[in-house]
Amino acid sequence: MVNPSINEREPKLDRLQLVALAVLMCIGTLFVYSATMANASSAMLPWYDQTWVRQIIWYAMGIGAGVALCLVDYHTLARWSFVAYGASVFFLIIVLIPHIGTSHGWGAQRWIDLGFFQFQPSEFAKLAFILAAANYLSRPVDELRQRLVFWKGIGLMLLPFMLILKEPDLGSALVLLPTGLVMMLVAGTPKRYLLRLVGVVGLLAALFLADILFAPPRWQVPMQAYQRQRLLVYFGADFAAASATPAEKAQARRLQFDKSYQVTQAMISVGSGGLMGKGWRKGDQTALGFLPPGAAHNDFIFSVIAEEEGFVGSLVVLTLYAVILFTGLRIAGRARDRLGKLVAVGVVTLLFSHVFVNIGMNIRIVPVTGIPLPLLSYGGSSVLCSLIALGLMQNVHIHRRGY
Amino acid sequence: MLIFDELKKNDPQLRLVAMVLAGGLGILLAGLWWVQIVSAQEYKSHQETQAYRSVRIPAVRGKILDREGRVLAENRPRYNLSLYLDDLRKPFDTAYGQLRKQALDAQQHAIAAQEKKLGRSLTKVERKQFALTTAQIQQLRAQSRLSVANDLAAQIGRQLGQPVPLDAKNFERAYQTRLAMPYPILKNLNEVQIARFEEKFTNGFGADLELQAARVYPSGATAAHLLGYLRSDDSSAEGEESYFSYRLPDYRGVVGIEGGFDAKLRGMAGAESVLVNNLGYRQSENIWSQPEPGHNVVLTIDLNLQRAAENSLVLHRGAEAKAAIVVMDVRSGDVLAMVSSPTFDPNDFAQGISQDKWDRLQQLSAEKNRATYENYAPGSIFKTVIALAALENGLDPSEVFHVHANPENPAKGIIYVGKRSIKDTAPPGDYDFRKAFIHSSNSYFITNGLRAGVENIIRIGKKFHLGERTGLFTNQETRGNFPSLPRVISRAWRDGDTANLCIGQGELAVTPVQMAVMVSAIANGGKVLWPRIVDRIEPQDPASGEMASRFPAGVVRDELGVHPRSLKILRDAMRDDVSSSEGTGTAAAVEGMQVCGKTGTAQVQDASNKLTGYNFWFASFAPYEKPRYAIVVMVESTDLHGSGGSVCAPIAHDVYEAILKQENARAGKVLARN
Repeated sequence: MVNPSINEREPKLDRLQLVALAVLMCIGTLFVYSATMANASSAMLPWYDQTWVRQIIWYAMGIGAGVALCLVDYHTLARWSFVAYGASVFFLIIVLIPHIGTSHGWGAQRWIDLGFFQFQPSEFAKLAFILAAANYLSRPVDELRQRLVFWKGIGLMLLPFMLILKEPDLGSALVLLPTGLVMMLVAGTPKRYLLRLVGVVGLLAALFLADILFAPPRWQVPMQAYQRQRLLVYFGADFAAASATPAEKAQARRLQFDKSYQVTQAMISVGSGGLMGKGWRKGDQTALGFLPPGAAHNDFIFSVIAEEEGFVGSLVVLTLYAVILFTGLRIAGRARDRLGKLVAVGVVTLLFSHVFVNIGMNIRIVPVTGIPLPLLSYGGSSVLCSLIALGLMQNVHIHRRGY
Repeated sequence: MLIFDELKKNDPQLRLVAMVLAGGLGILLAGLWWVQIVSAQEYKSHQETQAYRSVRIPAVRGKILDREGRVLAENRPRYNLSLYLDDLRKPFDTAYGQLRKQALDAQQHAIAAQEKKLGRSLTKVERKQFALTTAQIQQLRAQSRLSVANDLAAQIGRQLGQPVPLDAKNFERAYQTRLAMPYPILKNLNEVQIARFEEKFTNGFGADLELQAARVYPSGATAAHLLGYLRSDDSSAEGEESYFSYRLPDYRGVVGIEGGFDAKLRGMAGAESVLVNNLGYRQSENIWSQPEPGHNVVLTIDLNLQRAAENSLVLHRGAEAKAAIVVMDVRSGDVLAMVSSPTFDPNDFAQGISQDKWDRLQQLSAEKNRATYENYAPGSIFKTVIALAALENGLDPSEVFHVHANPENPAKGIIYVGKRSIKDTAPPGDYDFRKAFIHSSNSYFITNGLRAGVENIIRIGKKFHLGERTGLFTNQETRGNFPSLPRVISRAWRDGDTANLCIGQGELAVTPVQMAVMVSAIANGGKVLWPRIVDRIEPQDPASGEMASRFPAGVVRDELGVHPRSLKILRDAMRDDVSSSEGTGTAAAVEGMQVCGKTGTAQVQDASNKLTGYNFWFASFAPYEKPRYAIVVMVESTDLHGSGGSVCAPIAHDVYEAILKQENARAGKVLARN
């Protein structure tokens, strides 16, 4: 199979993936435009202040960063991974400090306001974690059998996990779990450890949900009200406790209606798109403001696409992600060494988790979480990190086996 | 596939990951398929219900015209001044912003005061107590809306030079339930107000004039019973879309032409869809079915004659007289005038009637059409029917009959039927048919009626279709009452009952319209006609190309089947009742047109057979030679003086004069067809 003459004619970059990437960015621009121009006040802004122009700028910066990363061998990058990891942990800590981190009135302290840019440390922490974990797990397989190494790996994952959870940003924290888990699996961590880990996590999750849904208020784990509500919305459970007075119940029902509003509207958007959709910029849900204008262009961008382009549009988007993910796995398979493979697998899993959770919440497969759709949602941190992650993957491809 | 070929060769872990990814994407695909393909319809309809409001737009109601095309009922534009809430969103928000700022400042003050009191800064939990509650926020919003609307109303009021009141509760309710619709603050603006408003205010500032069609009856109370009236009713008619979010004001005819021809007049309501945003404000609107205007109804009534008849009634009996007049074309059955008194102004109903007026109308039972909707004993005018029955059954008109004197009142006659005695207004003496008819001798007609036999009276009455509706229009007609053959053959029927019948009393009730049909049949040679009040129904827009649908004139309902000689004898007697100096109806005589008639005075008794009043009648036709018009005048009276000749004949006289005047004015053009 290793035939230099063939390999030499092969391109340096994974072109298929790049094409899918480019198409996704075009779609992203188009629909961020559609989602924001419907709003009269944002359509009044000068062109350079418009959201879609900014999105293009972020794309350009992301491509720049990705290309820059490709210039350095990923082995070199991996050696610096602990610096990146340390830095991201540092930012995750300072974002929690009042007056440095900001919540934008959402009740969660997730951003550091840099004036021109709302820096979201959790996005970069995910990347840093992938690099650091790949570096850590790329050690000889024998070492992975040692308990201490396993627990250190867990620790590597849990530190950013807990910090992100503290913001709180349950969604971003949770995507670290599958990413870490899959990386461990691919690295060759013994099955029994992983099974036990999955078992314990599963049990904790089950207990946690049972607690949220069924336990009397005094027994419930402390949690942000909106997080509990989102879970209750997802499971269709009543907001009010069984012992509540009618007035409390009525209030709870109203609250429930308000809280399930976003999901309901997202589903109406997606469903009313039908097979062919209503056409670009013709989505009533966005134009009439039923999809919250603040969320349509970022967390709920998929609703906009699905409404305006229908099932066909959804299928196109899913296909493009499938291309990126599977070419990513191919890159992992062809990687020169385990480090490269782990980096590629980590990026693929992270992207997949985002795609699954974000699209899933639009059709109520997954509870609402503030997770962006990679490359399509508006947002500097998300776009930058997605492009950097794909840059890393191309880096692995460039330095693949037999090249 | 290239990607999967690669994976096969690779380690099982990567393959597992690939499978999980494929599975995950498969789940998403299946979910999207479920939502976007299988359940798409459900979500589409959900989306429509939350974003669309449908509005029923009433059609322009058809006019009601008289036979010459003069307007009896039409629509006039009415301008309402309305607030357009969607244009006021910004001011609402601005006002709310200010109020909120004040509230927050107050809150800061309260916190500062509390901190000062405690000598420490408050904890987060303690601060929360000062936060605005949802209820407070909503109240601030409502308050800001109201203040914006109030300011605007005051501004408009200054411009119009009159206060424009705004009811806070009403406004808030409209905001909550009819946000997508304009909110009327001033109804029915006059021209000056419209001009003042237009002068100052332009589009997009939140208030504008709104056009609404209002039903107007230009002649006021004229022919009110015939026209009927409207009531506010915006419900969907049969065959119409039945669900609407909002309905614009509409009306429905209750009685009269407005009621009977409501479906034709109303037309077909249209529908508009209003797109609203997530807050319920109007975003855009789109008419998806234009209303189809209603049809005009052209009556056989002549407005001038109608007015003349009404005026003469008022002149002779006052505005509150309970009376009816029917003028009919004897050859076509066309109703040329139909008066019922007391009358009302249908404009009052269209614009909302005051309680006082309503009570007064109830007291007079003014809404009742006395020409068609009330049972009256015909009294002596029924002697025409008895005369026909007798003449057809062997009465020799020249045969002399002796009327006996009433022992208690020797100047008047009397007749004994079985054990009963019936007084006669005619003096005792010898009578032939003509003399008995013009003196309206009870003795003569009872004797000859009994001689002819009650079955023959009933038979001829049936030919006149007494006791049956004349089919004028649906909501306002009574059948009257006329005994059936089996009834008069039965043992319960006595000669006394027949005697009563012979003088137009007892088991007998008629309407003025029935009497007009009867007189017409006598006048036109024996044709009992279907009366006609609607000539045609035509489209409002003559250019529409739609044909008018006509109701045929002169449709014969029945032939009397009597000998022309009998009719001639009767008509001669009717002529003499008016023209001979001995006649009872001399007051109806008109120069230039020979009027023929019969007077009647029917007793009205209460439950204990006590005399409570009279129904005075005059049933007539003219001219004698070539009859064209039939006029029946009926007056209810609680006054025990008077007679059909003294009360009703003068009114008929006036109406005939009015007819003559009209015919002369139009150089020989006659009202009724030749």
